[in-house]
Amino acid sequence: MIEALGAKTIQDIVNAGHFGRFAWRSVLTSARGCAARRTYPLVWTQMNQIGVRSVPVIMITGAFVGMTLAVQAYDQLAGMGLEEHLGVLINISVVKELGPVLAAVMLAGRIGGALTAELGTMNVTEQIDAVRSMGTDPIRYLVAPRLLACLLLTPVLIIYADLMGVIGGALVSFLQFGINSRAYWDLSAYGVEFWDVGVGVVKGFFFGAAIAVISCYKGFTCQEGAHGVGQACTEAFVESFISILALDFALAVISKNIYEVFWPLKSLVG
Amino acid sequence: MDEPKEGFGNGHARSIVEVRNLTKRFGSKLVLDNVSLSIEKGKTTVIIGPSGCGKTILIKHFIVLVRPSEGQVYFEDSRIDHLSERELSKVRTRFGYLFQEGALFDSMTVAENIMFPILQNYRVKNWQEIEDIVKAKLAMVGLDGYQNHYPARLSGGQRKRVALARAIALNPEVILYDEPTTGLDPIRSDIINELILKLERELAVTSVVVTHDMKSAYKVGNRIIMLHNGKAIADGDADYIRSHPHPVVQQFINGQVGDDDLAVLRMKGSAGSAQFLPRDFEE
Repeated sequence: MIEALGAKTIQDIVNAGHFGRFAWRSVLTSARGCAARRTYPLVWTQMNQIGVRSVPVIMITGAFVGMTLAVQAYDQLAGMGLEEHLGVLINISVVKELGPVLAAVMLAGRIGGALTAELGTMNVTEQIDAVRSMGTDPIRYLVAPRLLACLLLTPVLIIYADLMGVIGGALVSFLQFGINSRAYWDLSAYGVEFWDVGVGVVKGFFFGAAIAVISCYKGFTCQEGAHGVGQACTEAFVESFISILALDFALAVISKNIYEVFWPLKSLVG
Repeated sequence: MDEPKEGFGNGHARSIVEVRNLTKRFGSKLVLDNVSLSIEKGKTTVIIGPSGCGKTILIKHFIVLVRPSEGQVYFEDSRIDHLSERELSKVRTRFGYLFQEGALFDSMTVAENIMFPILQNYRVKNWQEIEDIVKAKLAMVGLDGYQNHYPARLSGGQRKRVALARAIALNPEVILYDEPTTGLDPIRSDIINELILKLERELAVTSVVVTHDMKSAYKVGNRIIMLHNGKAIADGDADYIRSHPHPVVQQFINGQVGDDDLAVLRMKGSAGSAQFLPRDFEE
């Protein structure tokens, strides 16, 4: 049993090393790709696949997050006579945490699965080897455009999710609970700062990069056969999901510390 | 391995690709066991052997699609197995590789597949020139007019011919064919064999053909190497291979089942009793 545990640990360390190397090469190649004009059409195509086609699902996700928050939080606030503060609670939750995280999770499912399935199928049908055999770096041709598209568009999609979350929350607050709209927006404007929106959007860069690198890696290393591709897709989603939550925690800590350094008094008052 | 017949073998002055003491393991599985051989420039070398004996892995080493566990790979006397992927890109453009299942990009048309290596390796100024190249390459494999078809709409033989057109798009010096006739009917197989001979004649390329189709091997090969259990056990021209004394070589080229295999088939229990019948699944 100890032998098996040791072998598994060593294998996990080796796999982590492979992933680290793949991620490093992907980031370097993508950085180089920014300066290479021939990468642009490939990035453009991926932006359409990853970004444009994800807009409806992301907007629906955002809207339901805002609406659900309104329904859940109203009773607690109304009990304390603070129902006009509902906007602050909904909007800060949406722009800082729930909007970015749930949009990223939705993207991990929609895009991550598709990227892994596409690259995994290319891998098992030797199409990735074919790319290499013709003197083309598959990281440059296949990974970099996907990574750049995810990196650039996840923050944009998060803005869409935030916007719909804010609108959804406001509609439920006004139409269902009859909250005064003037007070709702005034208190929201006071409680939600540009910093909060910015933190949520910046998280999108990290979430997008994590989804792209993990999904591409799983596609590149998937086992043969339909079962192998299916398993790679599942692993890509699970690992992207865990990475999003871990990154969210790390970025929350970092952003809090930065905020306290630049606005120490405000954080005490707040 | 046998000493190669005169004109073939290791360290020959005209060799273009060479592997020395090549060993490849996947985990604990030994796929290639200390193989040393060289590929003669301008000739067609056929690598034969039973399925799973390491033929495909061997030719993947020629362009370092797979890195050796031990040993070295040389192209024109320069060692290439330790080069980075970026350095290997230039070497690989001098090869054409026909994959067993074609490995055509299914999201691209036939024309886009053939353009791919050209667009990736050269700055294209004149689009018409590219289209002319595609037309010429497709004409060479007898598929001019199929430019706008997608691979999924082609038959197995047509896909292999398109893959061959893509493999020769950069006018390579060496073409590696991985099981070019597998899965094709005898007539389509012979078309592929004729194409291999035509390319050898017209483009003066060096060809390496991996196959277990002996008819194809005899037809296209100037030299035949047989792999068995990861080792090269025979190396020579068609006549030499036909009269080779090694029993495994004779079994393979004559398509005869070995005593060991027969012993497995004669094991206790009939084949019929090992089959599930529909009634086995009924309540």
